[in-house]
Formats: sequence, structure tokens, C-alpha cells
Amino acid sequence: MAQASQNIRNFSIIAHIDHGKSTLADRLIEFTGALSKREMEEQVLDSMDLERERGITIKLQAVQLSYKAKDGEVYELNLIDTPGHVDFTYEVSRSLAACEGALLVVDAVQGIEAQTLANVYLALENDLEIISVINKIDLPSAEPERVKQEIEDVIGLDATEAILASAKTGIGIEEILERIVTTVPAPTGDDQAPLKALIFDSKFDAYKGAISYVRIMEGRVAKGTTMKMMATGKVFEVTEVGVFAPAMRIVEELKAGQVGFIAASIKNVKDTQVGDTITDADNSAAKALPGYRKATPMVFCGLYPVDASDYNRMRDSLEKLHLNDASLVFEPETSVALGFGFRCGFLGLLHMEIIQERLEREYDLNLITTAPSVIYKVNTLKGNVINIDNPSNLPPIESITSIEEPIVKATILVPAEYVGAIMELNQEKRGTYLTMDYVSKSRVKLIYELPLSEIVFDYFDQLKSRTKGYASLDYELTGYKETDLVKIDVLLNGEMVDALSFIIHRAKSYNRGRKLVEKLRGIIPRQMFEIPIQSVIGNKVIARETVSAMRKDVLSKCYGGDISRKRKLLEKQKVGKKRMKQVGNVEVPQDAFMAVLKIDD
Amino acid sequence: MISMPSLYVHVPFCVQKCDYCAFYSHSLVNTPENLVSLYLEGLDAEMAKRQLDAPQGVSSLFIGGGTPTALRDQELEGLMNMIHRYFRMNQGAEKTVEGNPGTITDKKLDILKRYGINRFSLGVQAFDDKLLRAVGRIHTAGQAREAIRRLRTAGFNNLNLDLMFGLPGQDLKLWQASLEEALSYSPEHLSLYGLMLEEDTPLYERYTNKTEETNDKVAITGRITPLDPLPDDDLQADMHEWAVERLKQAGYTQYETSNFARPGYECQHNLGYWRGADYLGLGPGAVSCLTEVRWKNIEDVRAYQSRLQSGQDPIDEAGDEVLSLRERMAERMILGLRLEEGVNLTLFRNDFGVDLRDIYRDVLERYKDKDVFVFQGDYLSLNEKYSFVANSILKDFV
Repeated sequence: MAQASQNIRNFSIIAHIDHGKSTLADRLIEFTGALSKREMEEQVLDSMDLERERGITIKLQAVQLSYKAKDGEVYELNLIDTPGHVDFTYEVSRSLAACEGALLVVDAVQGIEAQTLANVYLALENDLEIISVINKIDLPSAEPERVKQEIEDVIGLDATEAILASAKTGIGIEEILERIVTTVPAPTGDDQAPLKALIFDSKFDAYKGAISYVRIMEGRVAKGTTMKMMATGKVFEVTEVGVFAPAMRIVEELKAGQVGFIAASIKNVKDTQVGDTITDADNSAAKALPGYRKATPMVFCGLYPVDASDYNRMRDSLEKLHLNDASLVFEPETSVALGFGFRCGFLGLLHMEIIQERLEREYDLNLITTAPSVIYKVNTLKGNVINIDNPSNLPPIESITSIEEPIVKATILVPAEYVGAIMELNQEKRGTYLTMDYVSKSRVKLIYELPLSEIVFDYFDQLKSRTKGYASLDYELTGYKETDLVKIDVLLNGEMVDALSFIIHRAKSYNRGRKLVEKLRGIIPRQMFEIPIQSVIGNKVIARETVSAMRKDVLSKCYGGDISRKRKLLEKQKVGKKRMKQVGNVEVPQDAFMAVLKIDD
Repeated sequence: MISMPSLYVHVPFCVQKCDYCAFYSHSLVNTPENLVSLYLEGLDAEMAKRQLDAPQGVSSLFIGGGTPTALRDQELEGLMNMIHRYFRMNQGAEKTVEGNPGTITDKKLDILKRYGINRFSLGVQAFDDKLLRAVGRIHTAGQAREAIRRLRTAGFNNLNLDLMFGLPGQDLKLWQASLEEALSYSPEHLSLYGLMLEEDTPLYERYTNKTEETNDKVAITGRITPLDPLPDDDLQADMHEWAVERLKQAGYTQYETSNFARPGYECQHNLGYWRGADYLGLGPGAVSCLTEVRWKNIEDVRAYQSRLQSGQDPIDEAGDEVLSLRERMAERMILGLRLEEGVNLTLFRNDFGVDLRDIYRDVLERYKDKDVFVFQGDYLSLNEKYSFVANSILKDFV
């Protein structure tokens, strides 16, 4: 049935945050009638509230569109959505690998951003046919010609054919669909070959188990197939296959070229890893599809319930989130200051914030988050290498020969006028200059080597504030490098608060240590006793501040008519206090544990 | 056994309410004539009913408000008479009336004297006209001096003066001046209150709702002067500390957070509240508490009167508040720890069936190394150096 796959087109959309990807996807769905206008919920693909609020896609989704083209044929168009953030580069690369084409959506005002560029490169690596779409041309400040030029200069794509569109008003939607049909190649896989299905996403369903979102590269799969995960070797019996229309619809079989889902009563999303290849256990493919990588968390932080009795609920909540997000890792951790909690690993900072917010909103947990850390490799005198993801676990300095920190290659795209500002920032952040190219007359691509810990610190905010938001960043881990690092501990009222410890380059340690205690003095409210705040390296105090004792906190009068009211007042005060963490005799507000991130060097 | 409750009678009328006051009271300047008589009718009915709660009489009497002395002579006389018709009091029981310096006349003092009032509490607040005006007091410092003279002449030898610190525009010097003048009259008792901004008061509105910006704008147009700054917590603490020292020197004991007395002149009525004794509160807006039941009368003279006339209880919509054992214990602690003497351990055990050292072990442990708590004899008290930051400790008991 070669004919069938002739009429399939698999494509994804590459766009920077805010450049209109979700709106465009909505218009395509609407135009092809997959959902009637009435059924359309705004931005169907971004189904989580959080995604809608932030205007970004966190979880991938897919949708099948049925389009009757001008040539009279009906085509099956599979749109595979991709997350638009630097934390999720690997996921993007896998969904691009599932496609033959991609829409490159560029904002007619803002032009190309670093993240877009990075994803276009990923698409080109995967030999995708790229269709340029210049979006938001309805805006008065739109400059389609300049953006076209930029696409040519920056990416080297011929942009003369670029489609001018406005997803908001519907301009260019049909043209985009026609172009997909005419220029994106039909999938070519042999449906008689052994099964090779690429997992580009997975999702946990309470009834069906972990569902794999797949592109069938070769062969066929149907209910009853004994499937094998080629990376993990695990075997399951397929219970259902289907397509996204856009709701899940069960079909008889999926075959080469198609995009859909496979359910096999899989208990854990860990067994449906993005990038893995599903094959037929009874007729196994010789080789897995290339590009599989285990998702590795790069950023770690401690998450603790403010109320210790929430611990079990928090574990359940993390487990529930983990069902749908294998890249979230967590393990129990104990902090002297914060009690029982979890050390959690994330793909990046955004991923961390998302998980944190979901725990607080969807699971109604009141959390304390400690400052994020990266994984340090510590070489000990005994010749061991220890991975440290929590600064307070750093072994005593006497037992360490050296510490290595993760290094990334960072690509920054920025208007030429901000090059100086970026260079200065990278200098401050211990960056090593690699290259600089003028990708167009006004845009510069800077490549630096940077310690990941500096990016985790406040790099993003700095980057944005120093370039009025015009710079964009992409980075990938390149390796580890020995660095002169020290651990700063913080003492409150003479007691060390492990959750406030952090690792930092020696050259910056004094300044950071001093700024941190200043910041903490502002955050920690006055209490009954004077509270000294010190930052120390080893036994050496490098900075000290004092929160002076509170002097007035009293009910001026309290007589018979007032007793109930006054008692309730105190109860209220007590509830307010509950939101703070008692560390020794000191009440510490939640945000103190993130204070280190809020320091300007 | 029913113990003897104390009796509080609320008079919900003032010449004019002060800007900081959140108590239930009507300004007589814009109150219809008959409201006071409705009040007295209602009160009569309530007393007839409530005297059953005090079969052995009441331990002390406190007539507060409002401003009891804002009543006209015959109204005041009627009130006094009524109380004595319904409630028995021991010889020598403490009987206090509150008054505003702008309302003190020899005639009224004579009436009070005749009905055995043996303690008078005068709301002086400050001996400084500018400060008095800033919070809407109706009287001047001169009137306060005059009132004190009249009270002494009338033979009131147990006199309390209320003073406030933290008033708008008040600095340490002004505070010291008011307190020194108060001391010059050798009052038996002094109550020193920090100004509190209570919601729904003009002062609160003035200092919270309007932004500084609008105040400045108003100031520029010259309609009103800019607001005097409110002393911050540190300054208030300085004021309080200075007063504590000064009064100690002058022979007063700080027997409660805000109350100072010459030995033997502690207010017995208020000590009852702080020690957890029962009290009956009569009049609209008054609160009563008998063991674990507390209720508040409705803050509406007409509704109060009409309900009583039709034989109903004049309780407000919240109804009876039944205190749990935990709440009662918490109150015993938060009130008792306001006292210099502290909380009586034996009484606590007798009243609640547990030793407070067991039930509050964790709190007591928490502050162990900070000498916050003092055990002495049969009492647990708060180290006096923490009395002005007591809330941070007291909240651990609720």
C-alpha cells in the first residue's frame, strides 16, 4: 500500500516563545476542520493551564489533520508540536526526527531568536524540508522584508518563497497547508520491514498506562503485537494503537509513515523513553533508530514541604508528576534546617520552576525551594570521584584534591549594539570566548564556553535585562572542567543552615558571601532575639550582618470585651508564622532559601 | 459551684467618639434624644434577667464605655440606682467609673460618690492640646487638670489616669512631659497604652487608606495640614521602656503589661479578666463570660432594647461562643502572662485538669535557653524584658 503513505505529511513547527506557534497550530486545526470552531478551545495544543499562562508548550502533543488539497487529494497531515525552550532541546530533536518537514515561524517584528536558530539547525540535521512562515504580518511594525533577509543571512535558507501569514487573522493559512502538501516529502519507510517506531513523547493514562507517542518509521504495529523497547529491552503486548484526531482515536493498525500512539499497559513512563525505538519482539529490527539519549537532569534543588506533615503528600505528588515526566528525578533528602524533603533534578531552570509551580498549584503544597545547583565532580585524596548535587554534601576541603564543574557551550544571538554588554556579562560569568559571527548586518551570534552554574545563577535575567530582552540563548553541555571552587555556608544565630550552603568560584566568594548576608538581613524579619547572620568558608567568617531584635510586638490592651478577638489575632499571627520555617530559634521566610539567586554581583 | 462574677456595664455614648476608638458608642451630638432612655430601659430589663447569674452578688463593678460621665445627671443617677437595685456587692468591693475630662462636673461626681463609686478612671491620654487634637479628643489638657482637681476634691482617692503613647507627632520628649505631669498628681494607678490603628476608625482610614501622595496633595492645596508621622515600633518601645523605668523609680509596680499601680491599688476588676475569672457584661456591645460560655450583646441600642422588651436575649448574631478546653487554656496563658505575677499553676491544674508544664512542654522547651519564662513559687511568668514583645511568645500558646 505505497499509495497510502504517499498522502501523509509529517511536520512540526519551529518557533520562538511568543512568535505565535500555538495560535498557528489552532488555525491549522480549525481550517482543516479537525475541530469545529465551537469545539475549539483556544490553543488546543497547550493543554495545561500553566502552559497557557506562560504561553509556552511544556508537553509535546500531536494532532492529525485531514486536508483536501487543491489537487483534489485528501492528505493526512500530522503536526507534531515541540516545546520551545532551551531546557527541552533533546525532546525537540526527537520530534523533529519524526517529521519530514518543518514550518519555521518567525515573528515579523522580532526576527530570528537563538532558540529558533538552534531548532532550525536540529531540523536541518534531520534533513527536514523547511517552510519559512513570517507571522504577525498584520502588526503595524511588521518588517517582513527585513526578516526574510535575516532568514537568508542567518540560516542560509532561500526566503523568497517565505509565506506571509497572520495566525491571528488567518492570513496565509491555506497557503501554508498547500505548501506542506507540495514541498514536504511523503514518508518513505517500508511498511513490510520489521517494525521501527520512534517514541517522541509519552503520557500516562490512568486506564491505559504509559502511552507512547510514536512515528512509525518502518513496518506496522497493531493490537496484539509483542513490542520491544530497543534501549531498555523491555517487552509488552500492545493493547491499543490509534491516532490523534485530535482526541485519541483507536485504529486497526499503524504503519510506516504514520504518527499515532501505542498503549501496552505499561506501568511506568520510564519504560517509554523519548527517543527509544519500539520494534516487534517476534521480528525485531536489526538496529535501533539513531539519536537516543537518556534524559539527564542538569539542575538540582531541594524541595521541602513547609509543613512537615505534608511530606507523604509531596512524595505522592512528585510520583504523579513523574508519571508523565520521566526527566524529573527525585530522591528523599534530609536537611538539618528544613527536615525531610527531596532533592530533585530537572532539565533546566524552567523545568524546575514548572514542577515547583505545579506542585504548589495542582497539589496545593506549600514548598520551600533551595537555590539550584549543578552536579560537581569531586576528586578525593583517596582517588574517588564523587558527584555532588547538593552543596551541603561537599566533603571536607582537606579530603578533596580538586573539583570539576559542568561547562556548556552557549550560543547567544543578539542585536549588534548589545555585543559589548553580552561580552561584559560573559566575562563576569567566567565565560570563555569562542567565536563571534555577524549573521546579518544587525545580528551577532556569539559562542562562549560558560560554567553551567553561572547560567543557573541569574544568567537569564541578566541577559534579558542588559539587552532589553533582545538576546536569546541556547546551550548544551560539553563537559567538565577543574575550577577553583569553594563552599560558602551560612550561619543563623551561630547555627549552620545547610540548606543555604552553595558552591562558588573562589574569586567571587567574598563578594557573594557578603551580598548574601545583606540580602538575608532584609528578608529575615526582626524577632525576639538579635540574630547574627554570617557567611563562612570553612571556619573563616567572611561576612556578618545582624537582624536587630524586635522591640514591639504586644497587644496594647486586653480586657474582657476583647479576649476572643485578641486570641484570634494571635492565632492569625501564628498562621503567618507557620509559613516560615523554624531553623533553630530563628523563623526564616520561605524565600530566604532562594535569596542567593536574588543578588546582584 | 457558681463563683462570683465581676460586673461590667457598658455605656455606649460619648460626647463625640475619638478618632482611634473602635468600641461601640454613639456620639451624643448626633444621637436622637430618646436613644439614651431606650438604652436605660433595655439595661433595666437585662439586669432583671442577669442578676440570676450572680446569686451571691458581684465581686467588682466597672462602668465603662463609651463615656459614662457623658450621661446627663438624672440618667447617670438612674443607671447607678438600677445597678444597686439588681446586684449585691460586698462592702469594700472595687467600683470604678470611667470618664472623659470634658464631661466631669461636681454634680456628677457627687452622684457617683453617693452610690459608692470608689475608683475613677480618667482618660487623659496626653497633657498636650496638639496631641489631643490629632486623635480627635474633645477636651484640652487644661480640662484634664481641672477634672483631676475636682476628683480629688470630691474625695476620689483611687484615681487612674489613662495615657497614650505613639500618638501622631509625639516624640519621646512629649511623651516624657505628659507622663511627668501625670506623676505630679500622684495618681494611685496609671494605664499606659500604645496607640493602635484599629480597622473602621477614622484614624485607621487616615493613615492606611490614603496614600502619602494624596495627603501631600491635600497639603499643597492647603485644605488640611499633612499628617503627623506615627511613631514607629522602635520609638514606641523607647517610650514604653522609659515609662517603665520612670514609674518603677516613682514607686509604681508594673503589675500588667500596660498597667501600673502603687502597692495595693491594682485594679481588682481587670485582674479578674487576666486571672480568668467570670464576668458579666451588660449593655449593648458588652461581653460576658461564664466558665466556657462567652457571648456578646448586640451593638445596636434599639435592637437591644426591643429584644429585651419581648423577652429575648440581646445577643449578637454570632450567638454563644463555647470555648474549647484548649482555647480556655490558651486564654489563661495569654492573659496571665500579661501579669507580673504570671499564671497560677495550681489554679490552672484545678480549672483544666492538667499541669501547664506538661501541656505546654514544647513551648517552654523552645525558649529554655533564653530565660523567657520564670517559675517562681506557684506561678509561671514572662521575663519582664520580653513583655513588650510578648506576642511572638504568646502565639505559641494559641
